[in-house]
Amino acid sequence: MFLGLVVSVGAMCGISTVLALIMVAAESTIGNYGDVKVSINDGEKEIDARGGKPLLTTLKEGKVFIPSACGGRGSCGLCKCKVKSGAGEVLPTELPWLSDEERKDHVRLSCQLKVKADMDVEIEPELLYVREFRTTVVGLDDLTHDIKQLTLKLEEPDTIDYKAGQFVQIETPEYELTDEPVYRAYSMSSVPSNKHEIEMEVRLVPDGICTTYVHNHLKVGDTMTVNGPYGDFKLSNTDKDMICIAGGSGMAPLKSILYNMREKDIKRKATYFFGAKSKRDLFLLDEMKQLEKDLHDFRFIPALSEPQDDDHWEGETGLITEVVDRHTDDLSNSEAYLCGSPLMIDACIVVLKDHGMPEENIFYDKFA
Amino acid sequence: MKQTPELDRYQHNMRPGGITLKGFLGKDRRSLNEILIDDDAEVRRLGTTHEAIAARMQSLRDAGKAGLGEPITVQQQYEIRVDDVRGKLPCPFEDAVVQKTFIQVKNIAQNQVITYTDLHIHMIKEHGFYEGHHSGFRLPPADLVSILNVPVSEEESTQIP
Repeated sequence: MFLGLVVSVGAMCGISTVLALIMVAAESTIGNYGDVKVSINDGEKEIDARGGKPLLTTLKEGKVFIPSACGGRGSCGLCKCKVKSGAGEVLPTELPWLSDEERKDHVRLSCQLKVKADMDVEIEPELLYVREFRTTVVGLDDLTHDIKQLTLKLEEPDTIDYKAGQFVQIETPEYELTDEPVYRAYSMSSVPSNKHEIEMEVRLVPDGICTTYVHNHLKVGDTMTVNGPYGDFKLSNTDKDMICIAGGSGMAPLKSILYNMREKDIKRKATYFFGAKSKRDLFLLDEMKQLEKDLHDFRFIPALSEPQDDDHWEGETGLITEVVDRHTDDLSNSEAYLCGSPLMIDACIVVLKDHGMPEENIFYDKFA
Repeated sequence: MKQTPELDRYQHNMRPGGITLKGFLGKDRRSLNEILIDDDAEVRRLGTTHEAIAARMQSLRDAGKAGLGEPITVQQQYEIRVDDVRGKLPCPFEDAVVQKTFIQVKNIAQNQVITYTDLHIHMIKEHGFYEGHHSGFRLPPADLVSILNVPVSEEESTQIP
């Protein structure tokens, strides 16, 4: 009986060992795609990597940054790029994000697509100039009760080239709200001529991973990693009258554009409508007044949707769409620059078109 | 009702790092089936239905959209802020892809705030799912009923004051 027990235990151990060996072999063969090469924009840059990781990750490890707002979970649809070869079939997780035209054009969601063979990828040429920066927090100032101005000094590399209106992604490191680094996009409010520092305006979002970190955990002297610049929201090369509309931290890219206009002595007529709920949500009023003096023909019109009794507000009231409607006539030869909530932008586009503004003259940066 | 293979699959979809970074279940060790049964019982105890709760969440969201992304006072009772963020989220029950809209409702009289998303509205209405205990985004039915003033049937309600 004892011998039988020993034989049984031995047999079980043998079977377990064989199964373990099979699993190890499977791990190193089935899941191992070997060395792969990712060629970008017809060989303008090439990345040698181990296969098996998502394309977005492989590109990032090769210092090629594609904007993504969801951390690679396939829920923002932002990290699209064209994969001309080596991609295989479109995955079910990509389908909600790709139109028929995009699928025909070999557009893929880079966070979902794994690199299993050599790939030929096409991305926006500007993205090849995106860099990762190590920075130090040199300013963290309250603009309102829920908006902070974050100022970062660039350490390595120590300069950045960007256009007024563009954005960067800042990395929130692991802390109590996240077990892994998370990236979020913020427009720069600083002037591009200052190549050593960038400013952002960060509004606290309830339970927001990145905004909670900036508002409640970050301190002057801390280091932060950012990458950028991104985006095509910038001043057009025309002399058309400008209608600017923003709310909350949507101030950031418009401030950058207006300050840049002052520096470059751009003499375009501009009217800036800024929407807030009550007086405590307004900020940079002195700076905007100064711009009214400095710019050629600039008017700043703040509007409160629900002014409080103790605000003693004598300015414009109502939703920003109503205020824009009241203050504008024919806009067929004007341009608009909008930044803020998608709800606000969509509503403003309707008003602007009602005043004759062609859709192609409306530029916007949605928080979406 | 048993934990079916289908529910197993949905529960797998709810793991951290699947659809969302934190997942939908927190540290809840119960099966999805048990979670659904327990919350269904709680909602019946409160004297209401999943549909009524979702309808209230939806009507407040629609009213809050008028603020165009900024907070707006509704019926002198609520301060509501509705905003969209980039992208959509698939429902872990695999029946919808929902815009990422977040809705923050403050009940002014109670000074209580609750935050939810369009996906919450869908999951409550279609699946009676409020997320697991200790999930950062769980919406306890009693909180929803209280803060959002969801109509309840007094006859059916056995809510403890």
